[in-house]
Amino acid sequence: MNKGNSKVIICDDDQSILELLGLVAETAGCEVVTLSKSMEVMKAIRQEHPALVVLDLWMPVMSGDMILQTIRKDTALKELPVVIISASRDGRQIAELNGATEYLAKPFDIMDLTAIFQKYCYV
Amino acid sequence: MLLSSNPNIVSEGGHVQGLTFSLLFSALNASVSGIIITDNQQPDNPIIYCNTAFEKISGYSRSEIIGHNCRFLQGKDRSQKARQQIAVAVEKAESCKVEIRNYRKNGDLFWNELFMAPVSDASGKVTHFIGVQNDITLREKAELELLEQKAVMEEQVRERTIKLKENEAFLSSIIETVRESLLVLDPDFKVISANDHFFKTFKVSSQETIGKLLYDLGNGQWNIEKLKELLLKILPTNNPVLDFEVEHEFPHIGKKLMLLNAYRIELEGQYKDRILIAIEDITERREIERRKDDFLSIASHELKTPLTSIKGFLQMLSRLQPAGMPDQYQVIFDKVNVSVDRLNMLITDLLDVSRIQSGNMEIHKDNFDFDKVVAETIEQMQSVSPDHTIISTGSSRALVKADEQQIVQVINNLLANAIKYSPDSKEIYVHISKVSDYVKLSVRDTGVGINLEDQQRVFQRFFRGAEFQKKFAGMGIGLYVCEQIIKNHNGTIWLNSEKGQGTTFNFTIPIEA
Repeated sequence: MNKGNSKVIICDDDQSILELLGLVAETAGCEVVTLSKSMEVMKAIRQEHPALVVLDLWMPVMSGDMILQTIRKDTALKELPVVIISASRDGRQIAELNGATEYLAKPFDIMDLTAIFQKYCYV
Repeated sequence: MLLSSNPNIVSEGGHVQGLTFSLLFSALNASVSGIIITDNQQPDNPIIYCNTAFEKISGYSRSEIIGHNCRFLQGKDRSQKARQQIAVAVEKAESCKVEIRNYRKNGDLFWNELFMAPVSDASGKVTHFIGVQNDITLREKAELELLEQKAVMEEQVRERTIKLKENEAFLSSIIETVRESLLVLDPDFKVISANDHFFKTFKVSSQETIGKLLYDLGNGQWNIEKLKELLLKILPTNNPVLDFEVEHEFPHIGKKLMLLNAYRIELEGQYKDRILIAIEDITERREIERRKDDFLSIASHELKTPLTSIKGFLQMLSRLQPAGMPDQYQVIFDKVNVSVDRLNMLITDLLDVSRIQSGNMEIHKDNFDFDKVVAETIEQMQSVSPDHTIISTGSSRALVKADEQQIVQVINNLLANAIKYSPDSKEIYVHISKVSDYVKLSVRDTGVGINLEDQQRVFQRFFRGAEFQKKFAGMGIGLYVCEQIIKNHNGTIWLNSEKGQGTTFNFTIPIEA
């Protein structure tokens, strides 16, 4: 756990789910940065130094697994907790293969999601 | 002929000749052939002698014969060709042999084989005719029957040949119409014949194909070690080669995916030990299946996205509801939540069915603690099924190599079914065991049970028991998916059930895959 850090970066191209994720994170007491464009994620991570990153898998331009690969290749970020959330049948395999810390299948239960926020963010 | 060679011996006869004469008469009467002599010097050539056999053959007595012309034997049957021959022979004083229809005194027809010869005196004048007759009715009859038989047989052969030809034409028209390429090979894998579809599919001629070794066809597309091995086993073992896929850059037609099936032709005789190869181009079909899978993957993903929002916001609503709301609110939230979960399951199942059918259900095998996974699955199911108690017994203590997610799906399905179909009873029993090198799981309920007829069909896709259709919701996918998953794991799934007593579903999977 990142001491004193409650910041979470959330990226999903679906506006509605993005808002939901933000709402759950806020309710859990996190400081939230929501992004609907996956291209902005890496820049945001480097600027914001979050305690946790939540990524959707299927996103236009840059998919969640591509972002995850980039994170894991970066020596400064390879330990960063990343949660993959996907409605894809192969989501779990793709997430595990690319080194995700946690995986949640859509539709998820907000209890499970809240538990993850509480586990990785200092709240 | 003795009589004709020197008739004068008789008239000039001394003692020795007299003996010869009586001997001759006895001999004539002993003959089984009818013999007559006619006198050509008298008008109308009357019969002047007949032997005993002639009386017997004709049925007339000697007194009724002597003095008559032979024609009385023909009765009214006068227009025979043989008669003409006799008349000519008499006219020309020649011998002849005919077969003529004659009639006995009682009117019965008999076939007479007649040898007739003129007898001349010293001056060469024809004085007499001698006729030797044999009743050949039986022989003639046999010959006639033979002829008839032959005609019948020829007719049958003709008919059967026509039938055979029609059959052949029928079969070959089928073979030529079949939308599958067919090759017949001899035991050395040389092509004996190929159908039109083969030539069209591979854009080759019969010269390039017939008589060639299968492995030398085209650019060696069938020259595959694994296929060779399988084909070698066909004749001795009669194990067909089933659905062998060949993806290859074929000459003329480019990269294609071909499905090959090979069988031993089960015939004796000249077609023994032939191999029939059927080749199907499944390139397009596979592509369509892939697109259908892609489509369903995308569709299910897109359907689940709004569902995620619905479920999440609903849960947030429930959680954030202000104090003092009526209890009914929570009940309604829970009911909507259950429906959302069901909708989610249906979407997942539909995608699974599509993938199973196109053979694209991937298995990701990994080691996991079977007992622990079963316990976790039960716990989760128990938490959402407050009306039932799931009682678990036994253990396998096995680390199983299987696709955990899929096995969990099976267990979930069986538990959900057990709960769903036992609305009036409380307990669901789960038993884990290790049997040889398999783990076995049994899920037993004391619910409505399944009748014998339906038991055979519960694993069929979209099957739903008639009596359950209205009472219980569902699409008939769950057990189908379960069976496919267990099959893919080289296990078996089966059930025992009695109407009104409940049902036990069992499955086994190998511990080491």
